[in-house]
Amino acid sequence: MTYPYELRDTLIKIEDVHASRGGSLVLRDIAVEIKNVVRPDVADQGQVVGVLGPSGVGKTTLFRILAGLDAPSRGRVLVGEAQIPVRAGMVGVVFQHYPLFEHRTVLGNLRVAARRAGLSERDGGEARAHGLLERFKLGDRAHAWPSELSGGQRQRVAIIQQLLCGHTYLLMDEPFSGLDPINKDHACELIAEVARMDERNTIIIVTHDIREAVKVSDTLWLMGRDRAPSGEPVPGSRIVETYNLIDRDLAWRPGIERTASFDVFVRELCDRFQTL
Amino acid sequence: MARSAVSFHRVLEALSPNRQIALPIYLGVTVASVAVFLAAWQLAAGVIPSPADVLAALARLWTEQGLFDELATSVTLNLEAIAWTTAITLALAYATVVPAVRPIVAAVSKLRFTGMVGWAFVFTLWARDGHQLKLWMLVFGMTPFFVTAMAAVVAELPKERFDHARTLGMSEWRVVWEVVIRGTADQALEALRQSAAMGWMMLTMVEGVVRSEGGIGAMMLNENKHLQLDAVFALIGVVLAVGVVQDGALAWLRRTVCPYAELTTERR
Repeated sequence: MTYPYELRDTLIKIEDVHASRGGSLVLRDIAVEIKNVVRPDVADQGQVVGVLGPSGVGKTTLFRILAGLDAPSRGRVLVGEAQIPVRAGMVGVVFQHYPLFEHRTVLGNLRVAARRAGLSERDGGEARAHGLLERFKLGDRAHAWPSELSGGQRQRVAIIQQLLCGHTYLLMDEPFSGLDPINKDHACELIAEVARMDERNTIIIVTHDIREAVKVSDTLWLMGRDRAPSGEPVPGSRIVETYNLIDRDLAWRPGIERTASFDVFVRELCDRFQTL
Repeated sequence: MARSAVSFHRVLEALSPNRQIALPIYLGVTVASVAVFLAAWQLAAGVIPSPADVLAALARLWTEQGLFDELATSVTLNLEAIAWTTAITLALAYATVVPAVRPIVAAVSKLRFTGMVGWAFVFTLWARDGHQLKLWMLVFGMTPFFVTAMAAVVAELPKERFDHARTLGMSEWRVVWEVVIRGTADQALEALRQSAAMGWMMLTMVEGVVRSEGGIGAMMLNENKHLQLDAVFALIGVVLAVGVVQDGALAWLRRTVCPYAELTTERR
């Protein structure tokens, strides 16, 4: 039984994006969009899109274009209800190694983000920072330095920093990289929780961890290269497949990773990986 | 018996690589090193002045030859030079974020390979008096090294740190303030420590070239000229002591202003 839902406004649109690096084509013909998924029985159901692909397929290039950090050689990325071309700072980004300002405490890092969003201490920036720290179980780490945090704690602070900036759209680069199975589960719960904080919250996770991506996403984009009849890969990766996990009854279900259908789908993806 | 075995084990740790040792052991090793040094010095007496001779010379320099005033002159000059060097260096190093400035900074960095004494004539034309001449020679001597170190720190900042600041919606100048200036403060203070130490190395030479104001360097060269080795050794000791105090003060400043800097180092 699938959950009822409907797709409404377009939140992020990637229009015919091509990207080259050092004269060679890295990405081509990327044209996809993310729509607001609305569930009649759930108040705030954000979107989680997993971008999967083998190493070297151009996931990072696409990530940087989506973040507005690099411009595509052709095409554009439009963000928000007004569909504005993306610029750095419009989309929240949580990088793989969770960079924070090492010269500021956790709270100092959050204050900077709150001020960027126009929230001064008096306007409630401080209270919101403390509230988010409590919500993400970091209340006792407010005065710690970033170098004193564990990888999981750094990840949470990096996410809070982006949320305080007022970012509705959040890009996460390899959020499961280097985490043990327990912390991978925590990261999945965290992503799901952030998505549920607001109807329009949209998280794009770029990863090669298939199980975790399937577990937490409602949509999957599979990146890869086409092959010529001779078997040689065609230059430039594209999104070769989009999977709607809601229709497959694999989204929003607690404990989905323990079901047979989950395992079957993960195996299907693994097999597909071999051909990309 | 068991207790002495534990103590022996702790002492042995001081001889093993990459170990943390307790403060009392560290102090013990320091005291032992000083004792060995003094013993070796005493044994070499005759070839070089003995520790007692040096202490007597120090007392004479202090009471009869105005060592305090000379020292004050040198300390003032050195602090002034450090202040100018720091200001010029940081301005140049941070300015490397602007591509047009990079060739200028690269040229300043190459001045490391030019001798300082040869430039004395040029500075003579420029400076109003002896004090200014010494000051600018010191600044000229220290700046290229400090600039090289700091420009490298700025150049090696990872791209991810800039991108992180940009994704928070910061303007490029705000990124410079947060990532380049504030983010490298600990390394700037460490580089300053090294440059300040270099200042004391150069001071003797500079005060020897321009003796109009005196100073501990001029005093040392005078004593050296008259083969008063006990006094020369006493002055070396004074410079060493002042340098160590200055270095300790800068290290304290770094720990106070940038307490995060040493959190991940093995030898905290």
